Amino acid sequence: MSTNEDTNINVAEGIDHQVAMVMDLNKCIGCQTCTIACKSLWTEGGGTEYMYWNNVETKPGEGYPRGWEESGGGWQGEQGEAHTDRQPGDIPSREDYGRPWEFNHSEIMYEGSDEPLRPRDGAEWGPNWDEDQGAGEYPNSYYFYLPRICNHCTHPSCVEACPRQALYKREEDGIVLVDQERCRGYRYCVEGCPYKKVYYNTVSKKSEKCIFCYPRLEGEGPDGQAYAPACAEECPPQLRLVGFLDDEDGPIYKLVEEYEVALPLHPEFRTQPNVYYIPPYAPGQHTEDGESVDVDRIPREYLRELFGDGVDEALNTIERERQRARQGSDSELMELLQHKNPAKQYRLGVFNDDD
Amino acid sequence: MTDDRTRALATALVVGALVLCSTVALASPLVDARPAHEIPVTERPDADLSDPTADGWSSVPASDVALASAPSGVPNADDTSIERVHVQAVRSGGQFYVRLQWADPTHNVSAESPRQFVDAAAVQFPVDTSSRPPIAMGGRDNRVNVWYWAGNGGTQELLAGGAGSTTAFPSPSVAANATYADGTWTVVYTRDIESGSESANRTDLGSTDTLDVAFAVWNGGNGERAGRKAVSEWHYFLTGTGPQGPPYQTLLWTVAGVAIVGVVAVTAFGVLRARSGGGGSGGSEGGAS
Repeated sequence: MSTNEDTNINVAEGIDHQVAMVMDLNKCIGCQTCTIACKSLWTEGGGTEYMYWNNVETKPGEGYPRGWEESGGGWQGEQGEAHTDRQPGDIPSREDYGRPWEFNHSEIMYEGSDEPLRPRDGAEWGPNWDEDQGAGEYPNSYYFYLPRICNHCTHPSCVEACPRQALYKREEDGIVLVDQERCRGYRYCVEGCPYKKVYYNTVSKKSEKCIFCYPRLEGEGPDGQAYAPACAEECPPQLRLVGFLDDEDGPIYKLVEEYEVALPLHPEFRTQPNVYYIPPYAPGQHTEDGESVDVDRIPREYLRELFGDGVDEALNTIERERQRARQGSDSELMELLQHKNPAKQYRLGVFNDDD
Repeated sequence: MTDDRTRALATALVVGALVLCSTVALASPLVDARPAHEIPVTERPDADLSDPTADGWSSVPASDVALASAPSGVPNADDTSIERVHVQAVRSGGQFYVRLQWADPTHNVSAESPRQFVDAAAVQFPVDTSSRPPIAMGGRDNRVNVWYWAGNGGTQELLAGGAGSTTAFPSPSVAANATYADGTWTVVYTRDIESGSESANRTDLGSTDTLDVAFAVWNGGNGERAGRKAVSEWHYFLTGTGPQGPPYQTLLWTVAGVAIVGVVAVTAFGVLRARSGGGGSGGSEGGAS
């Protein structure tokens, strides 16, 4: 069924091509513009208020929803084994997602209170509650931002979890969607996704998720042009590359398959994500006196927890290529990581002539 | 008429009455001894029983239907909490009423939070009443018509041809009313006996006297939804039964009762006659002497 027998790309059974995204974590400034771009496009309606199909969380940190990394889901077994047994998962609580807070606007605006503007009682958790908190001790504290969307996995456990086949991978590009006609709100997808990127709409009583802005990819906007997902296009530091994993001439293929510097998040969940991350590359630790020492600021073990064992080789490769560039040599990798040309950054129409 | 004869007649009547009483008393439990999967459908003249608390329900016989976790591939499918449901059924004024009652200590009527699930109940019929479909949501060639009530107010009429194929009718022909009191749900489903329009996918409730039916109950508070549910085996609604049980049973027991009374009476009279014959001659003898 797959049309790319000529490549080594492992796209899902029955899928022609696979959309993919690479996010360079070294460029993320935590501004949440992606979050707002997504929210104002897709999740402003009734029942979706608490959802962030795209969120940016601080790592180390609890994330959104709180504790998602320990919430189960995904597949049992080791890498390379068949995907037969799913890992049981939990549905996050409303508190884990965070409730909207009430603010003291009326006191300040209309009643002359000189209190600072702040949430009323009950604000005890929310998305980014632990923003910028990170870990480590001064002068070697550390944190970085982790933007997250649905990974549109090659082995999506949300799809497998649904007893009604309401979730599916689109044949043409592998985007994972929830058929709103078939969904009956059972939420097995919510608990089955190890990244907790399927959400339950409390009004429609159905589940929803990131759609990789497929109407934008298809040029459904007023000008008929194809656009990358809003989270990518609106990003001020332009940290996202969008294209197809099996587009061998594109930067994503090179970063993921050739240089192996773009890594999936939590590969041990075994869903084979199609969103990849360039791991954060922090300066070394400092002594009390401000001297630089050759010790990783972000513990390597923590990065392995997030991105798997491939992170060591990835960081070595980046370091090596960076040195080459510093010494005046050409480095294709450094070029790829500095793309400023949207035509290369977003390669959307490469397979349009397939049919 | 002597005192002896009067006493004997009275004894015979008392014995006869006792026998009749005992046969009537015996007959009642025998109504419950109907086949295990049979649920009587009571015929009533024009009565509106769509209210779960309607007075008329108190005299409709209830069947106690056992439930068990449905075989299903969803997580924790074995973890269900409702073990039985009381079922009553009535045909009246062109309407078919099914009343379900079950104990559920948690009252779950909201699904407005990601972890909340609602209590629910369903009644399943074959679309084609001439054959019995697979119990788990029917089969591809043998579909089922499901009446689904959920605690947050929704009632749906569903069509299914196998697990995962459940599809809602755009306009349901079934209505449901429910009450929750003292830890017990009572739900009444009401539908026209005739299947009306879209009848191709709707069970014609009047097409047979033995209508296959199955039941499912979900306890939302226990995370039950989809295939994680307590279900019955196939049962059947038997039309043409009343609160006294099938007519032939009443008839047989009445005949038997009358026969027993008759035999006892004849025997008593025989004994009496034999005795009073001897006593009478003695008396006459005594009278002669």
